[in-house]
Amino acid sequence: MEDTKNEVEKVAFEASEIEYVSYGGEHHLPLIMRLVDEELSEPYSIFTYRYFVYLWPQLCFLAFHGDRCVGTVVCKMGDHRNTFRGYIAMLVVIKPYRGRGIASELVTRSIEVMMESGCEEVTLEAEVTNKGALALYGRLGFIRAKRLFRYYLNGVDAFRLKLLFPHRPPMLANWEGNEVQCSDDSSKQYQGLPFECC
Amino acid sequence: MENEVEKPQQGIEMAETLSIPSGEGSVWTDVSSLIAAACKDLPDGELIHGGNFSLFAAMSALEIMDPKMDSGIDNGRYHSIDEAIENGAAPVPLSFDRTVDALCIIDIMDHLLACEATWHKGHSLAQTVFSCLYLLRLDRTSSHALLHSYCRVVHATCNAIISVVSDARTHEEEDLFTMAYGLPLGGEKDDRCLSNLNAVEETLCRQLRASKALSAKKMAVEDVEPLQTNFDLEEGFCKALLCRLRFRKHFYHLLMCMRRPQGRGFDLARKHISSCLSELERIRISSEFLRLVASKICDDGTLVRTTASGRQPVGFDANVNIRSSAPAPPRAIRTLSWKMALEYFEKLLHDLDIICSFSLDPLLENVLRFTVQFQKLQPDLVARAHLQLLLIQDGKLYGRDPIFAVICRAAALPEAVKDHDMQKNEFVVQLGQFVINLLKILCTNVAWQRRKLGKILQDWRIIYVQLELAFRKELGEFSNMSNDENLSMKMAKYILIWVEEQAYWIASRFLLLGFELDLYSSGEYCMVYWYIYVVLIKLAEKTHFRILASFDTAKRKGKKKRDSLMDLARDYQIPPAVLLLQCYICLADGLTTMLAALRNERKAFLSPGPFNTEHERFIQHFEHLQKACMPDHMSYLSFKESTAQASLSSLATHNHFKDAQRIARELKSSFAHDPDRVAELRHIEQVAEHNSIALNVISRVGALDTTLKISFEFTYHPYFAVAVVKRS
Ligand SMILES: CC(C)(COP(=O)(O)OP(=O)(O)OC[C@H]1O[C@@H](n2cnc3c(N)ncnc32)[C@H](O)[C@@H]1OP(=O)(O)O)[C@@H](O)C(=O)NCCC(=O)NCCS
Repeated sequence: MEDTKNEVEKVAFEASEIEYVSYGGEHHLPLIMRLVDEELSEPYSIFTYRYFVYLWPQLCFLAFHGDRCVGTVVCKMGDHRNTFRGYIAMLVVIKPYRGRGIASELVTRSIEVMMESGCEEVTLEAEVTNKGALALYGRLGFIRAKRLFRYYLNGVDAFRLKLLFPHRPPMLANWEGNEVQCSDDSSKQYQGLPFECC
Repeated sequence: MENEVEKPQQGIEMAETLSIPSGEGSVWTDVSSLIAAACKDLPDGELIHGGNFSLFAAMSALEIMDPKMDSGIDNGRYHSIDEAIENGAAPVPLSFDRTVDALCIIDIMDHLLACEATWHKGHSLAQTVFSCLYLLRLDRTSSHALLHSYCRVVHATCNAIISVVSDARTHEEEDLFTMAYGLPLGGEKDDRCLSNLNAVEETLCRQLRASKALSAKKMAVEDVEPLQTNFDLEEGFCKALLCRLRFRKHFYHLLMCMRRPQGRGFDLARKHISSCLSELERIRISSEFLRLVASKICDDGTLVRTTASGRQPVGFDANVNIRSSAPAPPRAIRTLSWKMALEYFEKLLHDLDIICSFSLDPLLENVLRFTVQFQKLQPDLVARAHLQLLLIQDGKLYGRDPIFAVICRAAALPEAVKDHDMQKNEFVVQLGQFVINLLKILCTNVAWQRRKLGKILQDWRIIYVQLELAFRKELGEFSNMSNDENLSMKMAKYILIWVEEQAYWIASRFLLLGFELDLYSSGEYCMVYWYIYVVLIKLAEKTHFRILASFDTAKRKGKKKRDSLMDLARDYQIPPAVLLLQCYICLADGLTTMLAALRNERKAFLSPGPFNTEHERFIQHFEHLQKACMPDHMSYLSFKESTAQASLSSLATHNHFKDAQRIARELKSSFAHDPDRVAELRHIEQVAEHNSIALNVISRVGALDTTLKISFEFTYHPYFAVAVVKRS
């Protein structure tokens, strides 16, 4: 988030050198965990990661530059108050690779899968101070639907961002994971355990 | 996780020792071997997913021994309060050197103040004020009058504050604040805290007088034992302690005064507020003395931010009660600095002073305006809770005016109807509840407030429909509208007008708060201002009706009926409140048109996205208003139609900003007695003026000049933007 603080040495690369892959199994998990642990301050237990990648592997993507994993997105989807909605839980690109559209490509892929799976909308939370993420999601059509007072452990407010898909006739797909209860953003957040980002 | 192997076994042991009876259809069996086998199969960090394992559960799972999550982890310090105390973490007295003892006590006072402010700002009591070992074991301090009295009054103050906030209770924001389980809080011990404090204050006064007398080379007036042993420091120490004690005393008094019903203690409260403020100033000044003393007596180099002296306070340990603090990971808390704590309390006192200065205006319109103005100061939870308790006590406004009477007055009905049977109508009763609810919501933090306002819009819409039906059923058709002979008919009519007005007021506040919370992006301004425009038109219309009605009521009082219509026509002018709305309407109209023109002619502020269109964003932003049909028949299509033709040239011929400016100028005399509104009019003028200029520049240069960079900023008004034009 704070790319400006200590100028990060950027890596020279062509956009075409970045390879995007869908979550491919156990060997990807440590890569994701390391990236998120490094960039986000909220503590996530391994269960949180597993919860996402095992239930919705199709919504999780990784970006590689050669062997190096440089970015990832982790999401879920499920019923929430009579709507089927997607939720972006974590999005990270490592500093030397930022500003080149990698994050946009990662979320775009997840959102496309969500749309194809019949989601009516996509949501996430982002710190009100996270200019980069807010700009990125704004360009994708997310609105700032609500402000959440002191949402994060550090006492900072969050925005709930939402992207509503154009209305389509209801789908009768056999969704994966639609039995999973989501209580992640019921109005009463589990105190002290919100997602930092995303 | 290694500990996982142990955990289930513990569970089984428990089951055996406590012999919990088997439930219906279930019996206890020993599953140790099964679990042991499962453990072998399930490496570290793996997970068997059950259908009820939600994100909530995943996030609640703690990794044992991970310092970020495990609040029970051995942090290397003390395991319990008793252990800390046994190890001398909180000695009484703090030192046998009485000078050092005095200094240490002041450090404790200062650090406690910092903790208290940190608590008010949203951290748990356990990790802030109750990180003080002395407070956790109040009785231990009883031999030390000074320390004891201070701790007692802090304790009592915490109780008082918790009670205000939990009585006001409107929102989960308060949950963490009032959470006090496991802490030694509770009422009975507080009664004598002031007499204790007064006695100690008295002693200090004598010590101060004695030291002054001595330094004036007079003889000791009284036989007073000095506070400490260093004569040169005696006066400074006495003063530093006195202002700290007195601040606590007045602060406690203030809280008690504010709790008196119907604002009866407000005059006295204001006196205590002003005393508190002067004591805070003395506390601030004392820091110079304390820093000097600290550097002389015991200079260990490192300075902390939470005390005036810069010394590390003795007797605090944020970890000893961490286990009682929450079932969640400990929030990393950073205690406010002592300076910030002083600032916090000053701000709180000013906010409370504003509440105490409120005239308890019986007219709802003014109450709403007061709460909105108050919120602009961004008061914190404690001040907001006080406001709420003032507004609603025992289901009445200020604990004084029954809600039905408030509604009647708001709806411009004559005083006499407030005992009318209509108040028993179930929908009228419900309406009363909605009014109470609205007032409470207006006291919550603005982020939460906006969400609630969005949700109650529908309630107001529905109650309108229900009331209308109920009145019709009771009173027959409203066709004979002019027939005001029938009091009930008149009441029904007036109340309905007012309910609609109120609903549009809520809608406008909902929309405007979006700016305050930074919820709109510049690509959305056009539709937001358009919506504000249509809502304000409705609001102005309803307000106008209502004021006309009140005019009517007032006229009737003294005159015979046949005169009134003529008078009405003769005296009639558009009321200032409506004209003020008219100003906003012009601004909103102007901004909508300007933005639409820029979109139409320059393709600016369009913000297309790959996944949806503006239509979806419109639905999302205005969902609550659309569901409540506010206003009727307004949709995305209406927005598109009314902005499709907007052009800069048409704006030039009909400049809405000029209208706003003119009306605002004319209105100033009507509001001469009201500085808030005069300031508001000034801001309106500025917005209008700057936008007129910007429009001129844009049209002169020509809409298609791509070197012009246009942005919108909130330089002069929080809700109404001004266009800023730059050459790139
Ligand atoms: C947010 C983050 C994922 C962005 O990654 P990225 O690969 O640099 O993003 P992109 O290059 O795809 O950016 C796309 C657009 O977002 C906006 N953007 C991204 N970073 C920005 C920044 N620091 N400041 C302003 N805008 C920014 C820009 O509009 C950018 O488009 P542009 O380059 O054409 O102007 C990355 O900064 C990150 O990992 N941050 C730390 C974790 C985090 O905050 N995650 C988001 C949680 S909700």
